[in-house]
Amino acid sequence: MRLLDVLRYRLRVLLHPARHASELDEEIRFHLSLEAMQREHAARGAVSGTDAGWAARRRFGNLTTTKEEAREMAGLGFFDTTEQDVRFALRSFRRAPGFTAVAVLTLAVGIGANTAIFSAVNAMLLRPLPFEAPERLIQVSLTVPPRGDSPGRDDIPWSYPKSAVFRKAQTVFKDLTLWSPSEGTIRVGTDAERSTYEVVDGRYLPTLGIRPALGRNFSAEEDATPGGAKVVMLSDAFWQRRFNADSAVIGRSLLLDGGVFTIVGVLPAGFRGISGRAELFASFMSQDARMLNEPQSHGWDMVARLKPDVTPERAKVAVRQLGGVVADAYPNQRIKNERWGAIARELDRTRVDPVVRRSLLVLLGAVGLVLLIACANVANLFLVRAAGRRREIAVRLAIGAGRRRLVRQLLTESVVLSTLGGLASILIAWWGVKLLAALDPTTTLRVRLGGIGAISFQSIRLDPVAFAFAAGLTILTGLVFGLVPALQSTRPSLAGDLKTETARLTGPRGLTSRNALAVVEIALAVVLLAGSGLMIRSLAKLIGVRPGFDAEQVLTMRFNMIGVGQDSLPAFYDQLVTRLASIPGATNVGLADCPPLNGGCNGTILVQHDRPAPAPGTEPDIGVHWVTPDWFATMHVPLKSGRVFANSDRYGTQKVVVVSETAARRYWPGQDPIGRPVSVFQGGFDKDTAYVVGVVGDVRFGTLDSLPDPDVYLSYYQSSRGRVMMFVRTAGDPRSLIGAVRREVAALAPGVPLYDVRPMRERVADAMGYARFSATLLAAFAAVALALAALGTYGVISFGVSQRTKEIGVRVALGATRGNVLRLVVGQGVGLAVVGGALGLAGALATTRVLRSLLYGVAPSDPVTLVSIVAVLMVAVIVASWLPARRAAGVHPAEALRS
Amino acid sequence: MLILQTLTVQPLHGYAIAQQIELLSDAVLSVEQGSLYPALERLQKRGWVTSRWGESPTGRRARYYTLTAAGRRQLGDEISDFDRVLLAINRVMRRA
Repeated sequence: MRLLDVLRYRLRVLLHPARHASELDEEIRFHLSLEAMQREHAARGAVSGTDAGWAARRRFGNLTTTKEEAREMAGLGFFDTTEQDVRFALRSFRRAPGFTAVAVLTLAVGIGANTAIFSAVNAMLLRPLPFEAPERLIQVSLTVPPRGDSPGRDDIPWSYPKSAVFRKAQTVFKDLTLWSPSEGTIRVGTDAERSTYEVVDGRYLPTLGIRPALGRNFSAEEDATPGGAKVVMLSDAFWQRRFNADSAVIGRSLLLDGGVFTIVGVLPAGFRGISGRAELFASFMSQDARMLNEPQSHGWDMVARLKPDVTPERAKVAVRQLGGVVADAYPNQRIKNERWGAIARELDRTRVDPVVRRSLLVLLGAVGLVLLIACANVANLFLVRAAGRRREIAVRLAIGAGRRRLVRQLLTESVVLSTLGGLASILIAWWGVKLLAALDPTTTLRVRLGGIGAISFQSIRLDPVAFAFAAGLTILTGLVFGLVPALQSTRPSLAGDLKTETARLTGPRGLTSRNALAVVEIALAVVLLAGSGLMIRSLAKLIGVRPGFDAEQVLTMRFNMIGVGQDSLPAFYDQLVTRLASIPGATNVGLADCPPLNGGCNGTILVQHDRPAPAPGTEPDIGVHWVTPDWFATMHVPLKSGRVFANSDRYGTQKVVVVSETAARRYWPGQDPIGRPVSVFQGGFDKDTAYVVGVVGDVRFGTLDSLPDPDVYLSYYQSSRGRVMMFVRTAGDPRSLIGAVRREVAALAPGVPLYDVRPMRERVADAMGYARFSATLLAAFAAVALALAALGTYGVISFGVSQRTKEIGVRVALGATRGNVLRLVVGQGVGLAVVGGALGLAGALATTRVLRSLLYGVAPSDPVTLVSIVAVLMVAVIVASWLPARRAAGVHPAEALRS
Repeated sequence: MLILQTLTVQPLHGYAIAQQIELLSDAVLSVEQGSLYPALERLQKRGWVTSRWGESPTGRRARYYTLTAAGRRQLGDEISDFDRVLLAINRVMRRA
């Protein structure tokens, strides 16, 4: 009860302070009038009404004090004082616009950058996955032990038969589902488009806790037999776009990769599956029964929901045991003693690739350092300002202001300043977030980067969480940079400060703490410089990598030939290449099934008939690529020996292959591979013997930072494959030929959608996207940090100079040369830089280790980087102290002594 | 404590409380009447007294203060404390 009374009272006072005040007024008026009435009555008319009123006032005491005390008692005093302080702060800032602008801008940059990066961290790492109770979702994968020189893996997807064994044996999950992202041609009526979709089973939606907005989920019957019902659910976006949100869509059908699918449901808005990009959800059992029944066909991701009473840890143990059950049911046929296992991890842990996680955390750390430097800088400004206000503060202390009260006022000032900075930072954060989403290094690198598509840079936005973060940061920074100057400048040393205005200004303590702040700034800047220097060197190395082809002036686009007889494909490609080559502006045309820098292409086992069969499990791996004869010339892939394919290498003639230099070196060391008989377990090259006819230069099909793998090339004319990417080398801008290429393809193969249309050059740029992303941001932070540190040094030195004018005057009068003075002042700056630099280098050596996994070809302690950043630092500091030094050297002794 | 004591009988407005205190203490404890109001705010903040607006006998709006249960308990504590102190003083005085 009492608590309630107190609460009600407090709320009334706090929420309606004006009403509280007016009520108090009314109450006091009432009191006074009663008292006056009483007196008038008691005197029986001997006193006039006015006199009685005055007497009442006297009896009452000081009206204003009473009201103030009442307000203080009511708990409003805090606000009154704060309001006063805030007003005072704003007034004093208005008087010093230069100081205010610099401080606010510094803070705005610091807080804004932090908010932007935090938004990214929040979206990518923290915000819960858009599913029901996402923390109860577990991803289950198969594991393969390491074999030979190939490392083990723990991210192998499931085959349907293996998953069935697992499903039957498991007891820890309430629900589990298989799904797989896919891409295909969707046809509604006559409109065809290339889209991403997911193939999911009937337990997908219940596991994730999603219900269809319209229609129904796949039924148990539709989920029962492989090769069964072809049914599909639409994403809300697809439904809006292709069916104009027509609710009569249920029961209609569409064509997905040539198959007729019946629409049974529409999913709620915003739900795009675990991949985050699905337009459609096709039924699991619509897949080819032979594929589903094959135990070694691993293509399904498993996600499961824990039973209510099962902890993730228990599930992990259980899954490890279940892995053994699955391995017993389907032992490895080819390699007898190799046992696969199973592993569980929280779905949330798989949300982003470890590289993304690490980069973001590094960036968050870096941007935090920038804010620290900004704080140090503003603290420095405050110290300088406080030195100028020593007299004011001394007077206040002298006439009885409490130290607590003064510290509070100074802190209010710094919080007001940081609030201004925080407000300005919203603009910077807004811009930064837009920039981050636009920079998005992941969209084009999905092939390489793992993670859940639902979490992407596109989902970065300024949300209430980010604003709360910014607000907290604002207040914190205000307190951090305000506390030291506030405590220091109110240290009572009355007499000295009151007596003289100049002598004590630089009091040794003030100078020391300013120097210390400058040293801290420099040290932090060095850490950031080291980090960004390493990233930039790593990026330079990446740019310097020769990918093995010439990406300039090549247009690339993809299409898939489905439903065309395999036998007719070579003739079709022949025609296609001829037509494309006849486009004006096209100089060369080649086809290949998988573009370079794709993040990896398909591969298989190479059989060398000229040597004894290797032990099972140690067969040589090789990447397999289909190309047309002209592809090597189109991409400027050099021929090292022998010949490339000829147009006469066709079905029916001797099968031939071309190998890469790495393949030649690894599999025929010290020998000439030309003429060697081989088989490849793909493309119909497994039974017949083919002969190596040529060796070409290495092409990096994986990533820029991984060494090329051994590769073998087959000709599209000797081995049919429907997957095609066209490479058109152009005389001018590759984009100018897009229309013409589209027309030619449409004329030859009407209705086949072209997609992934981009100049090869862009693909190369994307392959460096991640490295560039981190390097760019880190470099930007380091530049800001360096600028702030230089500014801080400049501030300290130039303030020191202005305080030492007299001393310098004396020195000059005693015969110090201009050079002496310059050396004196610059030497002070260099001193700061040496101490700060040494501390910074130590810090850098300790912290850049976290960058190791993000670097390519550079060690975290790379001496070149460290030496060069020290050089950069020295230059910056010397410049920063040179300006005040020149001013000091220009001091005229007579003037200085007289002033 | 005096304020709480005056409210034990019935809710009163500020002026009436001042009058009561003066009456009870035979004008010995008549301090500035104004200091009553900060004290009332403090008692409200502690939850010992609540207030609401009502009509005074003269027909004007006045704020009436009421003792809460917590306030009553507090008064009891204070009185017994006070009694103890008084007792101690008396003993000392008698011995002297």
